[in-house]
Amino acid sequence: MNPLIFTTILMTVLLGTMIVMMSSHWLMIWIGFEMNLLAIIPILMKKYNPRTMEASTKYFLTQATASMLLMMAIIINLMHSGQWTITKVFNPTASIIMTSALAMKLGLTPFHFWVPEVTQGISLTSGLILLTWQKLAPMSILYQISPSINLNILLTMAVLSILVGGWGGLNQTQLRKIMAYSSIAHMGWMTAVLVYSPTLTMLNMLIYIMMTLTMFMLFIHSSSTTTLSLSHTWNKTPLTTTLILITLLSMGGLPPLSGFMPKWMIIQELTKNSSIILPTLMAIMALLNLYFYMRLTYSTSLTMFPSTNNMKMKWQFETKRITLLPPLIVMSSLLLPLTPMLSILD
Amino acid sequence: MLKIIIPTIMLMPLTWLSKKNMIWINTTTYSLLISLISLSLLNQPSNNSLNFSLMFFSDPLSAPLLVLTTWLLPLMLMASQHHLSKEPLIRKKLYITMLTMLQTFLIMTFTATELISFYILFEATLVPTLIIITRWGNQTERLNAGLYFLFYTLMGSLPLLIALISIQNLTGSLNFLLIQYWNQALPDSWSNIFLWLACMMAFMVKMPLYGLHLWLPKAHVEAPIAGSMVLAAILLKLGGYGMLRITTMLNPQTSFMAYPFLMLSLWGMIMTSSICLRQTDLKSLIAYSSVSHMALVIVAVLIQTPWSYMGATALMIAHGLTSSMLFCLANSNYERTHSRTMILARGLQTLLPLMAAWWLLASLTNLALPPSINLIGELFVVMSSFSWSNITIILMGANITITALYSLYMLITTQRGKYTHHINSIKPSFTRENALMALHMTPLLLLSLNPKIILGFTY
Repeated sequence: MNPLIFTTILMTVLLGTMIVMMSSHWLMIWIGFEMNLLAIIPILMKKYNPRTMEASTKYFLTQATASMLLMMAIIINLMHSGQWTITKVFNPTASIIMTSALAMKLGLTPFHFWVPEVTQGISLTSGLILLTWQKLAPMSILYQISPSINLNILLTMAVLSILVGGWGGLNQTQLRKIMAYSSIAHMGWMTAVLVYSPTLTMLNMLIYIMMTLTMFMLFIHSSSTTTLSLSHTWNKTPLTTTLILITLLSMGGLPPLSGFMPKWMIIQELTKNSSIILPTLMAIMALLNLYFYMRLTYSTSLTMFPSTNNMKMKWQFETKRITLLPPLIVMSSLLLPLTPMLSILD
Repeated sequence: MLKIIIPTIMLMPLTWLSKKNMIWINTTTYSLLISLISLSLLNQPSNNSLNFSLMFFSDPLSAPLLVLTTWLLPLMLMASQHHLSKEPLIRKKLYITMLTMLQTFLIMTFTATELISFYILFEATLVPTLIIITRWGNQTERLNAGLYFLFYTLMGSLPLLIALISIQNLTGSLNFLLIQYWNQALPDSWSNIFLWLACMMAFMVKMPLYGLHLWLPKAHVEAPIAGSMVLAAILLKLGGYGMLRITTMLNPQTSFMAYPFLMLSLWGMIMTSSICLRQTDLKSLIAYSSVSHMALVIVAVLIQTPWSYMGATALMIAHGLTSSMLFCLANSNYERTHSRTMILARGLQTLLPLMAAWWLLASLTNLALPPSINLIGELFVVMSSFSWSNITIILMGANITITALYSLYMLITTQRGKYTHHINSIKPSFTRENALMALHMTPLLLLSLNPKIILGFTY
């Protein structure tokens, strides 16, 4: 794509999300979402083939439906409260519809079906933008309406998302689908604590974005999209195997890596609010996620040459430049000792 | 405590910056020196703990375990030299780094004051162990073994995290030094029963309890020698140590909640000892014998009498040294014949007489011969369980007999009899191997002269 056009489109995506995050008028938020959606379609379709077209169409349809639902909720809110400012949504109908719309945008169960298919159909870089940047806008709206969200619906969606994210990823070998299911599960964790402490949602979002960025950068570096091609990393860049191991274990939430910090904080917050069965269930279901990350690490880093490998060696082109990989890796694995710093958030 | 932790952390730059021919020498020497530092902790003037800081402390229970942990690192390094000799230098350094990381986490776990920090480090020990088992094990079953190890332990310990956080909400602090002073009885309710279960299951899986022990034979057998040593000697004792710490908070539910686990342990120790009599795989035999000994520790901890606590602590230390030594002996067989089958390498006394002496000593301590500390541990546990209920003497007596049976079976099969013709050409024992066995055996024999230091905090 022409670099100038590409820059303009990327800037529009950024602008759309910024408008969503920073407006106080509901109509501007809807406009921001639409801007974001329309501008990201060409980015999703960077490679022009039927698979990408299918993925972009699916994405467009689901997100447009979600935007329309959001608009309906905004209008109902306008009808009942008579103003367009963002505050908590007082009317329960509007609140439920808005929560469902935002859940569709985020990819929470039961609206998660588009995430694996869309992520699989697009290139790795576009998948990266889809799974990290696109989550910021809906999450910021959820943060702002969090006092009024119906707890039952939100928690049901959260727990089901963690379940679906865990079980759905078990049968996958395509890396993008694995990352998609991991995104569904993490969104579940984030929304579970939204009503109790939205700050922890943001913390989880931050750490999730760092870890997902790191994973995608490592995948892009070795241009691998399947588990089988990832298993050749020891041959191309042996150091990457260790990095993939560390980041995957961090995503699985194993102490002492930083992926444990959001889970620990969320469990602490939920337990302080006297719900004990919920965090137990959530924590145990996160082990399903850990299982398929472990499977990835087994084929990548923990089995040694000369293990059998059915993959033909790919051509090795010149090394892609990966921006910011070292600080990202450090941040996605070593942040746990900084947990006491979170007290500044209170 | 930093005087132990910081040198252990600095062992990592030491390995990465050492030259190729100095890597083993440097790490072994410095880790031996670090173990000498930890010996000073054994001097506990009173039963109150030695508090070093807000975060680390040492107590007559954790000091012997700490000394065992630091003593074991040079032994692990010595044992791993042979099977890593053909690896490229970076992989050797990675292996040593994993061992050192594990050592750091273990030291911090045994000395943590805050229970959540104990939990995080307890979980943190899983990662290097998993990497050691899965990356450097020898058979394809190691992948399965790693998964079983990781997931059994995690399933048990996630409820522990939630239980610890809810206890922190209820009582305000999880600092162990404080809790022992304002402990109050847990009210009797269903949710407190679940709290008891959540707290104990993590350690039961780690010990392991008989019904949840499936990960142990897999992990021990598939791990390389250093992995087996550290698993048998220390990681199992983490479970015992955790149980000993956390039962202070869990009265009075323990008096009735402990029954199922006592039954499982009493029955399980006989079952696993009996399985040992029918094993063909040498490492598997030693693994099951670990389960059996740890079942005794579980019985001791759940009975909660002063003598049983003394027995539990002594048994943990004694079993750590003994089973680590047995694994080293089994490994010396494995390095020569590349097989773990017992009968493939029999009659070794004729070929390697000095090693046969170490086999004899290890088997004798395994069957708890007087006056070794193994006997002190087992005897105290047997006596306290007799005082708890007279009938347990039958099971305990049967267990001691069967333990003697399989230890002697192992000794006789590998050492006595006519040697097989295909092991005529095995290499003689290396000095390194003899030194390794001596370093295991010497603390065991010397401790029988002054067992007071390993008898824990109820002495």
